[in-house]
Amino acid sequence: MLTYLLRRLALALSVILATLVSTFLLFFAGPGDPAQAMCPESRCTPERLAQISRSLGLDKPLVTQFTDYFQGLIVGRDFVYAGDTVHCGAPCLGFSFVTRQSVNDELFSRFPNTVVLALMAAVIFVTVGVTSGIFAATRRGTPTDRIVVGVSQVMGAIPYYVLALLTALYPVVLWGLLPQYAPLSSGVGPYFVGMVAPALILGLVTSSQYTRYTRNSMLDTLSMDYIRTARSKGITERTVLFKHGFRAAMSPIATILGLDMAALLTGTLITEQIFGVDGIGRRTITAFRALDLPVIMGSVLIGATVVVVMNLLVDIAYSFIDPRVRLS
Amino acid sequence: MPEPSATELKEASDEKPSTTTQQSQEKRTGRSPGQVAWSRLKQDKVAIICFVVIVFFILLAIFAPLVVSLQATDPITKTKATVDAVHTELVDFNGLPEQGSSSAHWLGIEPRLGRDLFARFAYGARPSLVIGFVAAAVSTIIGVTLGLLAGYLGGVVDKVISWVIDFFLSLPILIVIVAVVPLFQKSIQGDGNLSAEETSNLRFWVLIVVLFVLGWMGLARLVRGEVKSLREREFVQAARAIGVPTRGILFREVLPNLVGPIIVSASIAVPAYITYEATLSYLGVGLVEPTASWGRTIADAQTLFATYPLWLWPSVIGLSLLVLSLSLLGDSIRDAFDPTSRR
Repeated sequence: MLTYLLRRLALALSVILATLVSTFLLFFAGPGDPAQAMCPESRCTPERLAQISRSLGLDKPLVTQFTDYFQGLIVGRDFVYAGDTVHCGAPCLGFSFVTRQSVNDELFSRFPNTVVLALMAAVIFVTVGVTSGIFAATRRGTPTDRIVVGVSQVMGAIPYYVLALLTALYPVVLWGLLPQYAPLSSGVGPYFVGMVAPALILGLVTSSQYTRYTRNSMLDTLSMDYIRTARSKGITERTVLFKHGFRAAMSPIATILGLDMAALLTGTLITEQIFGVDGIGRRTITAFRALDLPVIMGSVLIGATVVVVMNLLVDIAYSFIDPRVRLS
Repeated sequence: MPEPSATELKEASDEKPSTTTQQSQEKRTGRSPGQVAWSRLKQDKVAIICFVVIVFFILLAIFAPLVVSLQATDPITKTKATVDAVHTELVDFNGLPEQGSSSAHWLGIEPRLGRDLFARFAYGARPSLVIGFVAAAVSTIIGVTLGLLAGYLGGVVDKVISWVIDFFLSLPILIVIVAVVPLFQKSIQGDGNLSAEETSNLRFWVLIVVLFVLGWMGLARLVRGEVKSLREREFVQAARAIGVPTRGILFREVLPNLVGPIIVSASIAVPAYITYEATLSYLGVGLVEPTASWGRTIADAQTLFATYPLWLWPSVIGLSLLVLSLSLLGDSIRDAFDPTSRR
């Protein structure tokens, strides 16, 4: 068990490290010149450009820039801005080129919005998906089953952003059926009510996958011998379904949920952009438009770390449940 | 209802060997998985409808110039509409078109620029289809090749490829694509000033490359797993024993057993890439003007969605219908190849 854990941990660390190095090379050594992006074209002299480069630390050799960045991540580092020394504690992601705010503040202050959105969506897709999946599985082959499966197939097949955009445009903006996003500062009530529309569409579309997973898993379980035994003992259908069938059918769904949550925390980009939710994804898109390298680096790193850590947790949890995994 | 499997058919025909239908079914037991899937697919009504829709869009894309020229000559500009002819005389001072749908402009005129919306719609099918099919083909080839190598060779090669798969899979894909496309384009473009059209073409190919570079891992992992179990099977060991070279084993013995999963994976990849293209165009890192693209049109048209829905809806319907048909066809293909499918 210990060797398995260590091997898995080493793999996870190596992936995060590789993400760090490759994104660093891609963005900092890449062709985009952030100094140019920050310099108003009409008044951009070469001296001004050089000055900006120097103040951003872009004139140092690449290796120095990287070791500085890496040091910041592990132990923190000091920045000198206009004569003042600002300490940036580990894990330091640097300062935004554009807003001059600490990237940690910029991203982590927005992270709760993304988490709230993802969690609200998760509640919706688990409830809707699992319920309709069981509903369809117990009515296998009937028109009801076909309708549930058909609706979930169609909903999952239409490009997500089109559905989200139409929801944002018609019910929210034009008809005013659902309130628009409001930041937390405008009150807890409006904030959560405003999250309903994005969470609802994200949840409903994602639920289509869960309907199918649950239906298939439930059908697999219900065809097992022990279910037939339970039925032949004369247990009520209700108890057979929920006590014997449901529990066994849910373990693969729980695994998929773990992986999906990781994907959701980095994948609410489109939803955030369309509904104007001030989350980490939306901030990243703003950063791309301004070539704000530290913010881009930070969000890619956070995203990769979340995915890797969630994968690791799911794998470890799974190796406890199913010992065969450890041997492979 | 699942089709009866070969063994079920055999049992059924053992019971009642006299009837002719049973005999003809018994003949079919020797068919390859591909043939079985094909005959199942031909009976799937949803698959046939989807196929017709897809063919319609492919024909629309190929014959776009011809179809567009079927529109009447515009009485104001005295010309026939083309895909990028700008006619600002057709819009009023607010940039709104002065006429709706007409015989000269079936889907009306684009606000501000006054371009023909039907031409934009018909030509807009082109990048979606090309990106979808080319990216799916290339990522399938990469995925199969790397999966075969990792699964069959094992050892260090397997370790390296598996690590690369793990690495790519843990990248936040959408964020990375959004980040990489502009940088990648800039590094090819250099400082040279390109015309809008050259930039647009370059962006098109950059998109395809980024999509397949970030899209091959799922299939590679699948193929690797399958090959790992296939290489221990008797027929592969027999081939090795009689001295068939590795290449022969891979392509003649192992690969034919993987046709099903590969076709299924490729058919699911096409709509996924089309969706990516449209999504990226919406987020502002996809296709750029003057290339006609549904994703771009949707992004532009959302600003006037309430006053001028004719701008938004054709692209929304076109994109949704195409992706929906491709996905449902993909689902049907998967069910057709899956002997245990439960429909």
